[in-house]
Amino acid sequence: MTNQPDATAESDASSLDEYAADLTEKLGAESYTADFDTVRVIVDRAKWVDTINKANEELPFFSWLSAIDWSKETEVGDGVAEPDDLEERFEVICRLSSVTDEKAANFVTVVPKDDPVVGSLTATIGGAEWHEREAHEMFGIIFEGNENLIPLYLPDDFIGNPLLKAYPLIAREVKPWPGDVDVEGLPEANDASEADDGPGDGGDS
Amino acid sequence: MTDRELMHRSEVAVSVELETPDMTLNIGPQHPSTHGVLRLIAKVDGERINSVEPVIGYMHRGYEKISEVRTYAQITTLVNRIDWVSGFANEVPFILGVERLMGVEAPERAQWIRLILTELFRISSHLVFMSSYPLELGATTPLMHVLREREYILELIEGVTGGRFHPNFNRVGGIKPNYGGGSKTKKQSMDLPAGFFSELLSAMDRMDQICEDIDTLVTGNEVVKARTVDVGVIPGDKALEYGLSGPNLRASGVAYDLRKVENYLPYDQVEFDVVSRQGGDCYDRYMVRLDEIRESVKILRQAIDIIPAGPLQAKVPRVLKVPQGQVYSRAENPKGEFGYYIVSEGGKMPYRLKIRSTSFSNLSILPWVLQDQLIPDLVAIMGSLDFVLGDVDR
Repeated sequence: MTNQPDATAESDASSLDEYAADLTEKLGAESYTADFDTVRVIVDRAKWVDTINKANEELPFFSWLSAIDWSKETEVGDGVAEPDDLEERFEVICRLSSVTDEKAANFVTVVPKDDPVVGSLTATIGGAEWHEREAHEMFGIIFEGNENLIPLYLPDDFIGNPLLKAYPLIAREVKPWPGDVDVEGLPEANDASEADDGPGDGGDS
Repeated sequence: MTDRELMHRSEVAVSVELETPDMTLNIGPQHPSTHGVLRLIAKVDGERINSVEPVIGYMHRGYEKISEVRTYAQITTLVNRIDWVSGFANEVPFILGVERLMGVEAPERAQWIRLILTELFRISSHLVFMSSYPLELGATTPLMHVLREREYILELIEGVTGGRFHPNFNRVGGIKPNYGGGSKTKKQSMDLPAGFFSELLSAMDRMDQICEDIDTLVTGNEVVKARTVDVGVIPGDKALEYGLSGPNLRASGVAYDLRKVENYLPYDQVEFDVVSRQGGDCYDRYMVRLDEIRESVKILRQAIDIIPAGPLQAKVPRVLKVPQGQVYSRAENPKGEFGYYIVSEGGKMPYRLKIRSTSFSNLSILPWVLQDQLIPDLVAIMGSLDFVLGDVDR
């Protein structure tokens, strides 16, 4: 809701919060967040399939399923903000949405790294098969009940799970990306005097 | 043995059921009808398809991984290339997601320019379908005829953005700055070029005409109807289960359009109808796209009257650092719901970027919809789903 005046934006936010709370209670889920217009409902791993199926009755549109690798150490990119407090884990996310209004929710379950197993949704949501195959090859998460967890994008003999934070970007290893060094010196991030200049191009020259 | 007996015996011999194993037929990845590098492994029994297994990933470029080592400004360049037929429309949900995390809002005029360009890309994308789909059904005339008309749209896009396919025109809080000037001078945003509206209006008149032409050339054509009506029927509940969106979903009776339900660009200020049909067959998917071109033309004509004057760039820091948070930002692209799940840990680059690309979900229904269909219908069904392989493989 980017083009709403502030007053309505605030009331939107509180109604979204209410919606998330209702949904969490109805589904017997653990907790929720509703920041940035994005409803996240945290679901217990054991109840994953049942909860999604129940939610699917009201939110019939299966949008996507994927995962996040929360890792203290990263081979690529910026790490997490506070690595010391981080509990290393996978988060499996499934998004369902309504087709009559703007209601939608991301269902999140925590999957431990030493036992990366979660139930498969394919019995009731056929479209989940490809998404689960992708999450399997990219993160190594096993979806119990999906009979067809063969690689989707990657070649059959590919070793490793590329979207893990511990997986290096091979091209970078061979030839480091010049990035910022290549362009004129960038000003400090919070340089107020430059604040009205529009965003820098961040080295895409 | 009499003739009569002989005839009877031969008939018996013919009607004996022979054990015939399924034949495996490999289609692609270099088959012209697969729109790129898609491979299908079909198990066929004569003309009938028993099962089909799509093999994708020939063009997998690992955008989700690369995005973890690119700044937010650099990622808009990448996402242009996901669905290259609607490059600009791919940028919009990403930029809106970043803006939402940063609490920035683009000025009204910039939002309207985004809307205009999105609709131009919708027309352009649907015209590609209108030219290639009849070709797949056997008609060659619409290909050149419709592609020529698409050039008028591409020229308009080029006039504004400087690029025909990959405009890379969005910036956080606004649109692209003009060339020139060093890092110390204040940058001016690019605006719509002089005379844009009159050119847009005349292009829209052409679009009205081309829709009429397509109607007479393709829609009423007997062969087209015979090959598409009641072929490849996808019921609404199946479409939802497989995450079909856009025209493919709306042809199955589900009038779901993010332009109406999610107020991401000022679509609430223009009047247009959500086109939907009930049949769910190839013909309806074709008709929905044709009618959507007309609706987009309607939107663009109204946009000319409404678009306000004003600034084009909101205040943002020069080096983008996005506050910690997670956001899912979605938009109605020409092919359906396109979204980004942005996970920021407060740095210059996203911690994780999940790209919900439309064609990936739209194609995932292929094994279901092609089951028990005939080989000659395979190309008609596949083409009607209107996918782009770059959007499938990401």
